Amino acid sequence: MSLHDIIFWILSLWAIVCAIFVVISRNPVNSVLFLIATFFAISGHYILMNAQFLAIVNIIVYAGAIMVLFLFVIMLMNLNTDTEPQKSRLVHFAALISAGSLLLVVLSAFRKAELTQIPVTDAGDIGLIKVLGKTLFDHYVLPFELSSVLFLAAMVGAMVIGRKEVVEEKSTK
Amino acid sequence: MKPLIATAVFAILMMFAALTVKEKKSFTHFAAILMLGLVGLNVWELADYNRLLASAQASPDLFGKMLRVDNYALWFNVLMSSCSFFYILLVGRSIEKVGVHVGEYYALHFFILCGVFLLSTYNNLLILFLGIEILSIPQYILSGSDKRNLKSSEASLKYFLMGAFSTGILLMGIVLLYGAMGTFDIHGFNFYATGTLNIMGVVGVLFMLVALGFKVSAAPMHFWTPDVYDGSPTPFTAFMATIVKVSVFFAFMRLFMEGFANLDPYWKVTVLGTITVLTLLIGNITAVYQQSVKRMLAYSSIAQAGFMMFVVIGSNAMAMKGMIIYAVAYTLATVGIFGVLLKLKDYTYDGFNGLAKKHPFLALIASICLMSLAGIPLTAGFFAKWFVIAAALEQPGTFWLVIFALVMAAVSLYYYFKVIMAMYFKTGEPELITPVTTMDKVVMAIIGSAVIVFGIAPDMLLAWI
Repeated sequence: MSLHDIIFWILSLWAIVCAIFVVISRNPVNSVLFLIATFFAISGHYILMNAQFLAIVNIIVYAGAIMVLFLFVIMLMNLNTDTEPQKSRLVHFAALISAGSLLLVVLSAFRKAELTQIPVTDAGDIGLIKVLGKTLFDHYVLPFELSSVLFLAAMVGAMVIGRKEVVEEKSTK
Repeated sequence: MKPLIATAVFAILMMFAALTVKEKKSFTHFAAILMLGLVGLNVWELADYNRLLASAQASPDLFGKMLRVDNYALWFNVLMSSCSFFYILLVGRSIEKVGVHVGEYYALHFFILCGVFLLSTYNNLLILFLGIEILSIPQYILSGSDKRNLKSSEASLKYFLMGAFSTGILLMGIVLLYGAMGTFDIHGFNFYATGTLNIMGVVGVLFMLVALGFKVSAAPMHFWTPDVYDGSPTPFTAFMATIVKVSVFFAFMRLFMEGFANLDPYWKVTVLGTITVLTLLIGNITAVYQQSVKRMLAYSSIAQAGFMMFVVIGSNAMAMKGMIIYAVAYTLATVGIFGVLLKLKDYTYDGFNGLAKKHPFLALIASICLMSLAGIPLTAGFFAKWFVIAAALEQPGTFWLVIFALVMAAVSLYYYFKVIMAMYFKTGEPELITPVTTMDKVVMAIIGSAVIVFGIAPDMLLAWI
């Protein structure tokens, strides 16, 4: 077992345990903190795969900006165990059965899965910003531009939902 | 690529119009003109492609095989943008009444059309994902745009939360397929590359089936549909139930026909067959018990999704024809009936009582549209059902499925004709919220006659395939 493998297993264990705690912790603030820990583990995986830029972006954007926003929202909404909606036992049971059967399907399928190795071309510098930028603006230019359309649509939507409809009231009165 | 760029540019133009224009009416005029321009651009693109095809210069693959723009997809785009044009002409007045951000509502419609064009031409799972997202996010907003109505907010939140989950499932499916196949290109999938079935790819197929089934509201992923369609402002329901839904079906069919072509037929007949049976059963039986026509139409759209599932089961040349005819027949008829519904004050069956006496024209158009949805001969709906069933029958082992679908079509006659009965054989004083203008009459007449013309000569729709 090489050092690479050992780090891989530690990071994987870290990510899975933290992800489980995100789901089962009662306090939403704890959930968010565990989610940040999960993101750090994922960033570690990115570095192992030679994707340094992705790793840094993941920490700055997700663990940094978005999660802080999450924390603020949770604190403003003052969520805790008291305000958690009570679900009936039947719903719990149905969720357990359906999620359990999905787990069973996925586990039994992956037990037999033969993983095909995807050959990695120019392995050394694949994660560098220069190479990433070239690929992004060469082969993946269409998805890149389309995601800007997607964000524009989401931005318009946020404005439509968020803005007060005062103009309407004035005109009707 | 002109229409795809145009959708985004037109959406931005609509937003600039929202800054400068004060009169609400002018938004609808502007949007209708832009939509007509979009139809023109699509026709131009189609003509251009065929001219290049004649001189053997055209290649359907664009952007390094990210898109596959062929005659079939372009023709679908032409039809969908024309349907959107009639939709705006018919329900524009009602869109103006939803809220204050009329310009933005139309901008969101253009964004949705961008998603529609992507879904009809994608050749790569990345584009499929982006297309579905560009299609969905404006819908979440539109369904919650009537902010004074609590049901609208509920619909929006419900749709958004469930849609977010289905997006997660879709991404999981794409990741598994990529892991199994090593490519995002839908023509590069081979489930038997190593001799045995690639089991990880099959799990990916399962996840994608669930996510796409959610978007087209196939049972058992349909639970959001009645609440969302019922709660959303009615003009936007008309758009969500028609153009958006058939476009996702188009993508669904292309994924199974081109992407998963060498997957075991068991998937198409048994797995998709089970979903079809459930969708038809739940959609039709629950529609019978509804009191509100709007909610009945929501369940009827689930039932129609059951019929459109036959296209995915078939996945052959016949299914390609069936897809086009069903898309147009279903979209025209549903937009037509929603156009009539929008004129009425009361959305229950009683609200339709005696409509034929007071407004015979509205009643006539509603009857033609409802008969088309039920699949009566001489309307477009009959040939739509005929083509999709013929496509499914080419797959072995679908005989009982088809018999079941015919029984369910008979059930659907009950709730569609309940509306016609109310209009013609009951007496009442139906109240209109807006008067029927000449414009409405012209558009309704076009839709009504199109339904009948396509019911007599469905081949007109297949000219370009």
